[in-house]
Amino acid sequence: MSVAVAERSTARIPWYVGALVIAATSAVVGVIWDISWHRTIGRDTFWTPAHMAIYLGGALAGAACGWLVLQTTLRGTPEEKAAGVTFWGFRGPLGAWVAIWGAIAMLASGPFDNWWHNAYGLDVKVLSPPHVILALGFTGIQLGALFLVQSLQNRAGESGRRVTGLLVAFGAGILVQNIAIMGIEQIAFPNSAHNGLYYKVAGAAFPLVLIAVARASRLKWAATATATAYLAISLVMIWVLQLFPATPKLAPVFNPVTHMVAPPFPLLLVVPAAALDILVQRWGPGRDWRLALFGGVTFVAVFFVTQWFFAEFLLTPYARNFWFGVDQWDYSSRVREWRYQFWRIRDDPVTPAKLGIAALLAVCSARIGLWWGNWMAGLRR
Amino acid sequence: MTGRAGRLAAVGIIALIASAHVGSPDTYFEGAAGPYPVRVIVRSPGVVPGLAQITVRLLSPLPQGTLPRRVLVLPVYWDPQTAAPPPPDVAQHVPGDSTLYSAALWLMRGGSYSVQVTVEGAAGSGTALVPVMAVATRRLALDKALGAALLGLGVFLFAGAVTLIGAAVRESGLEPGAVPDQRRRRRSRVAMGVATVVFGLALVGGRRWWNGVDAEYRSGLFQPLHATATVRSAGGAQVLRLAIDDTSWTNPKRQWTPLVPDHGHLMHLFLVRDSTLDAFAHLHPLPLDSITFETSLPPLPRGRYRIYADIVHESGFAPTLVSSVDISSAGGSWRPSDRDDAWTTGNAQRGTGNAVALQDGSTMTWERGDTPIVVDQEAPLRFVVTDPTGRPASLEAYMGMAGHLMLTRDDGAVFVHLHPAGTVSLAAVETFALRQPGDTVRGLLGARLTAMEKRSGERGAVLDGAPPMPGVHRGESLPAPGALSFPYAFPKPGPYRLFVQVKRAGRILTGVFDAEVRPAR
Repeated sequence: MSVAVAERSTARIPWYVGALVIAATSAVVGVIWDISWHRTIGRDTFWTPAHMAIYLGGALAGAACGWLVLQTTLRGTPEEKAAGVTFWGFRGPLGAWVAIWGAIAMLASGPFDNWWHNAYGLDVKVLSPPHVILALGFTGIQLGALFLVQSLQNRAGESGRRVTGLLVAFGAGILVQNIAIMGIEQIAFPNSAHNGLYYKVAGAAFPLVLIAVARASRLKWAATATATAYLAISLVMIWVLQLFPATPKLAPVFNPVTHMVAPPFPLLLVVPAAALDILVQRWGPGRDWRLALFGGVTFVAVFFVTQWFFAEFLLTPYARNFWFGVDQWDYSSRVREWRYQFWRIRDDPVTPAKLGIAALLAVCSARIGLWWGNWMAGLRR
Repeated sequence: MTGRAGRLAAVGIIALIASAHVGSPDTYFEGAAGPYPVRVIVRSPGVVPGLAQITVRLLSPLPQGTLPRRVLVLPVYWDPQTAAPPPPDVAQHVPGDSTLYSAALWLMRGGSYSVQVTVEGAAGSGTALVPVMAVATRRLALDKALGAALLGLGVFLFAGAVTLIGAAVRESGLEPGAVPDQRRRRRSRVAMGVATVVFGLALVGGRRWWNGVDAEYRSGLFQPLHATATVRSAGGAQVLRLAIDDTSWTNPKRQWTPLVPDHGHLMHLFLVRDSTLDAFAHLHPLPLDSITFETSLPPLPRGRYRIYADIVHESGFAPTLVSSVDISSAGGSWRPSDRDDAWTTGNAQRGTGNAVALQDGSTMTWERGDTPIVVDQEAPLRFVVTDPTGRPASLEAYMGMAGHLMLTRDDGAVFVHLHPAGTVSLAAVETFALRQPGDTVRGLLGARLTAMEKRSGERGAVLDGAPPMPGVHRGESLPAPGALSFPYAFPKPGPYRLFVQVKRAGRILTGVFDAEVRPAR
């Protein structure tokens, strides 16, 4: 389907948009799967299914968007060319170019990472230069998908706004998922929910995306939908992964798990996201500083109340079941009472001052998010 | 049979250690896994954590003439507090070779491992323990082709990212078909300039990060403990002192486990005359304390000597200390510090002869054949000793072994101490075979090992009751008539000198040979 046709028939989703959304989903699913793989089995090769899911995201995005820009440039109609941006003489939608950039970054990270393993050892640290390039790559694909559906939404008629709006929320949900993954050490486990750092990291990271999408999406409850998409992805992964039998293959094995270790239960971002949606609905464009101020403070306040008590629930026996999937630990963990306790509450307790810092970070995050959202709201190509 | 010996009998022993050597990180072993004779090679990855490649070859004769059902391999870390191994891996058949199996070993921590090689078949099953040291020995260079490809991709990504920023600012907000005005173009150029600076700074940060990782890795490359050798005169004799003066050893809070005796000796020290390689000694210094070792020096000719000292830690870690010393005056009388001490001199000229006359009139012949010796290919290290009448000589066990082979590359970049069972330290095997879950206090296992040796009154006797390893003998006479072989492949090309030591009629004899090792094609 051509770009021009896509504009006319806005209720339908062009094939390349579908391909890119699938690619972004595949990449984030692959990352969650890979983390579970490392927590359960321990060893891996390039050819694990989790890695394949990540690289399938890269390959699909690169191939679909590469084909799109070549077709648009070489054989596209004037309308199709007009709907793209110029990149070294080629024409294509901005989202496609961002995704292509991400795919090439992923491609580059492969041999670099292989050399890195041979030179410095197998994943001595998760955070390494080739892994950062890989992360930039799949984040590029996810951003590309978001930009593409955003421009589609912005050009869509009334009939297509709901579908494209939901796609925008889903794309943003993938980004939120990405952030949650990157903050796995600080904000993933409920045991950290009584630490100051937990609220600072969450305050700095999440308002950015949530308020940006609330501003850019034409859904009324866009931030809530975004948080719901993140929640849905997490729950599906929790429920599916723990169905698969697996055994550790790397020493030392102190916790002989028998099934894939599920990721931690997701944050209940839907609650503060709904609060942000209400604020965005109340204050439209033109009052962004005020919106950022109230949005940031509101986010931290609602997030704090929600997570503080919900984390307490997650540490109770009532949450130790299939549906919540908690109390699942790495094969190398010496599982003791610490798993039911709040960690580091003496070193880093939650105090009003720390919540204040978290709120300040959230205000900054929300203000940047509004700039970003305003730009996305104007995205046409 | 004692309970411990019973444990040993139940666990067949394969021992091999890659580390008691210089410039030769791979491990070679020949022995038995229960009823199955096997040869095991572990190729060191050179990095930690890393994947070591292990091959297990079943040797003839196969029990009942049948291949086993499967071969399992499992590396177990030495520390009983962390050794909680996963299930073993099934080694896969190497296509085209029915007796060869291979697998990858995940060595995730630096230190000492025992690799359990289990062979299961109709003739029963047996497990062999193969001590392997995981150490980072090298840092891989970035080859030019890969470097150029990565640089190209990097430039593309950098330029692409800047271009994307420009395109986003210039056009992405315009309705399709609209042409960007001058203001948008100017803003686009400014944005690209800012992006260039920001991305450039990110690159600089990335480079610093990479350099930091590289420096940290290089500083963590394995270095044997530092040792200093000195020679002094004492009562007309010369005494060699070797002090382990490394701060990581002398620090009271050191992480090293204590030393354990190997064949009854805490240290096996080798002297090789520098450059000419025409003087060689195999000595066993006695400990004055936990740092200092001394031995009476044989009357070696003056000159500079390379020193290699094999030690074994209680963990099974068996490094070789490297040092050098100047011997400025020829020694006088020599009273060996230990009855197993031996030395030889002469052979200044390199030779290609296959037969050398030994000090007692017997002859040692290297059956090397006509095939060139090539790097990383199994070397034909088979030797036969014949008496003056030409009949196979009757050899005795020399420190529990049929023979010892020390080989060194002329420049000293390689030094290896081999036995017929391979690059084996018996003491490392002992530490793994006797280790119990309760051995969490350092020194406990070592003290038990030493006590067992003292009780037995015989060096290397701790493993009595264990299945035999080739060339390992506790008695004084050897069943095989004067023949011995060593499983090994040379790690680097170049000229080598080999010192083969055997014992005959209570006398330690040393045969010296030269070899030229060709690079692999």
